[in-house]
Amino acid sequence: MRARPSTLPITLGELARVRPLAGAELHLADPARAVEQVVLAETFERLRHCLPHELVVLHDEAATGGWSLAAALHLAWERNLSAVVVSRAVAGASSAALAERLAMSLVVIDEDPVEVALQLAGQVSAPAAARAQRQARVAEQLAEQTGIRGVVGVLNRELQGVPVALVVGDVVVAGQAAALTEKGQVRPIEVEVHGSAAKMVAAVPVPGPAAVDQVASLLRLARPSLQAAWARSRLDAAARASHEQAAFELLRRLGSGEAPSWTAELGWQVGLHNRAVWLAPVHPEGEPSDEVTYLIRASWQRGHSTWPLIAEGDGWISWHSAGDPDDLTALRRALTGFRDSAVAHRLVLGVGRAHEGVDGLMRSVAEARLAAHVAREAGTGSVQWFDQVGAAAALAWLPTTEIAQVADLTLAELMAAKDRAPLVQTVLAVLDAGGSLSQASKQLGVHRNTVLARLARARQLGLTYDEPGQRLALHVLCYSLTNLWSESRSGSEPSPP
Amino acid sequence: MSGGAGYLGAMASIGAEDVPALYEGAKFYSPAVGDAGRSSVTSWLAGLLERNGPVPLMRVESVAPDTPCVSVCVLGSGSAMADLPPAGDEFVLAVRQIERLQNVRFGAVYPLAAATISALVPVVTAAQLGVPLLDADGMGRTFALIHHTAMHLAGVSPTPLVAVGPTGESVLVEVLSGPRADRMLRANVDTVGGWAALAAYPVDAGTLRRAALPGTMSRITNVGRVLLGTTDPEELVTRLGAITGCKRIARGRIAELEHLSRQNDVTIPAHPSSLVVEETGGLGRQLRIELRSEIVAVFADGALIAGAPDLMCLLDVTRGALATLDSLEPGDLIDVLVTPADAVWYSPEGMEMVGLASHGIPLEHPRRR
Repeated sequence: MRARPSTLPITLGELARVRPLAGAELHLADPARAVEQVVLAETFERLRHCLPHELVVLHDEAATGGWSLAAALHLAWERNLSAVVVSRAVAGASSAALAERLAMSLVVIDEDPVEVALQLAGQVSAPAAARAQRQARVAEQLAEQTGIRGVVGVLNRELQGVPVALVVGDVVVAGQAAALTEKGQVRPIEVEVHGSAAKMVAAVPVPGPAAVDQVASLLRLARPSLQAAWARSRLDAAARASHEQAAFELLRRLGSGEAPSWTAELGWQVGLHNRAVWLAPVHPEGEPSDEVTYLIRASWQRGHSTWPLIAEGDGWISWHSAGDPDDLTALRRALTGFRDSAVAHRLVLGVGRAHEGVDGLMRSVAEARLAAHVAREAGTGSVQWFDQVGAAAALAWLPTTEIAQVADLTLAELMAAKDRAPLVQTVLAVLDAGGSLSQASKQLGVHRNTVLARLARARQLGLTYDEPGQRLALHVLCYSLTNLWSESRSGSEPSPP
Repeated sequence: MSGGAGYLGAMASIGAEDVPALYEGAKFYSPAVGDAGRSSVTSWLAGLLERNGPVPLMRVESVAPDTPCVSVCVLGSGSAMADLPPAGDEFVLAVRQIERLQNVRFGAVYPLAAATISALVPVVTAAQLGVPLLDADGMGRTFALIHHTAMHLAGVSPTPLVAVGPTGESVLVEVLSGPRADRMLRANVDTVGGWAALAAYPVDAGTLRRAALPGTMSRITNVGRVLLGTTDPEELVTRLGAITGCKRIARGRIAELEHLSRQNDVTIPAHPSSLVVEETGGLGRQLRIELRSEIVAVFADGALIAGAPDLMCLLDVTRGALATLDSLEPGDLIDVLVTPADAVWYSPEGMEMVGLASHGIPLEHPRRR
């Protein structure tokens, strides 16, 4: 029969979380080790009669020197004891090293060994009481926390070896990402946080130091604090977001000139060389919700809490201000760190050039936005630097969907043909190559005769690319169609009308 | 100088050329002692032997059983002896005083302990008195107190004994029980100059045949020859093993010197400390070497692997020489050598007197398990 959880023998890890061992120096070989009894050993003779899974507190003759601790550790190892507790007066660094070598847990205490032994004996005989004591202590600590990170931090500190995280969907808002791993012998625990889209996730290693129901009850204990912290941070974040939005609008209207003093109050840096970043969804779907803004802010500002994040149109503006316009280390690091979040939220990023002052910032913002549009071509998670865009940025602004609709009306014959995609692609290649068939065939990887044949068929279907009057229009058309189709290649090609 | 001449077996006499080997061998049997006072005593002895000729070294069995014999040794601190060197007549005066008291003429001198400076002074005394030296002693190494002898275990009284200090003053002690003598003497040693020449255990040679440990003077001379003859640690350990039965139990690097041990027994005055050594080969064990006035126990991963009355000494591997306990430093590479003591020390009475328990370590001796 399985013992009831409350009467399961207490483990070393649990004992180590409550007084008197809570303040002790711990060298635990295995925190999951059960402690069935406590023995106060005064002589080596007593040590020789200990039974496995007992915790022994050394005292008097058995604690007379470094040698006595070494001999006691050896005996404890021989007799498969759970741990050895000893006063600091006899424990040196070498004793800890020996304990580690023998895989024996060693606890070094400052208090009187007899008192400690008595307290431990009480805890071991009533494990439920010790666990309740621990929960009470955790509840106190949780009550002191006002922020989400603080609450999750308390849990992670308390549940050593069990990663805890607060997640929304698959995105970790706070805590350790390891809580989401499903590797190895791990039992996942989830606790919903009411009043938010978030939930607490913990990965409990089994077998491990923490009992699953212990972890679950601690997570439930944290729920009210977390709800309060969540609601509060939402309020704060919403207020801050609208404040920043308004302030940025004001800054934009200000145009050139000195950075006004209120920018510093918001924590913004504007005076130096500003390099803007535009974060935009890969498929624009109108203004993002506060919820999404909150999540993006959380992951973008991780480690860069001074960088602003302002919702603007269908994306977000941020910038980095530095004395040296060519110093990109911080920005590159931030972009690398943000990559996972960018993929998770289906974002692309554009980076402008560094310009000085307020008007410089606005210019960089415009550049970043343009770069972000170009980045959409490369798909989710990609980053485009404006320096590398050049005039080709113009193409990013083409309303490809609308142009494709024009094609449906004006080139009905071509659009009805099954092989329209290679035909359009071939014409685009020839036009891109300035009419050179050999270059186009090389770029497409087909024979020159194939190119010729496709051109002839395209011309038949109305794609009269060689008429000077139509060339620009058809070039743009072909570009738009190719772009549109390559974007949705995995899905459907445009269905025949 | 025939210092490096190698093993000679039992010797018939000790000459000036044997002095360096004698000193080195004496150090092997008491590794705690530093080199203070070395040159004064060795040169004094070498000078004496050159002037008076070699001292005959005789087996106890080859002396007539009724020959009266007396043991001599240095009592007290070696550094005090370096500060206040002997005037030269202390040992002879001590012997003469017992002769007057007992109205005998001693026919031979023997060392109380054939180790440290105390192995040299019997040679000095024999040379000065013009009597032979017995190839035997009472300890076969050094122990802390003067009744820690095979003679005491055999029922021979250490008294009457006489201690003569460098000041020329002397103390005569007569007690009923051997252990009392040491306590009374210690109270006087400081007063007479920090060290004293001791003459004790006046007994006839017939009793010594069963009471003393034979062959020990030859043994230390041979050990000294080996130590002077080579500095290759492997060769040294093998050759020492052939003479003394010593074994290397581990080689390691000193990791830490620790002073955490508490003294829980004050019969033997010493400051306890320990040496932590990481074994470099084999199992990579952590060795803990407990020090009092000598090495009293060696633990490997907490298991006792050697302990008093075993003689434990450390060999400095890089120098190929014995390491004295006051010269140890973290980082030194050392061999831990264990030499079995003479069998009498493993008897229950012997163990009670000089075993681990007398150093406050209540564990069973590894040779007895």
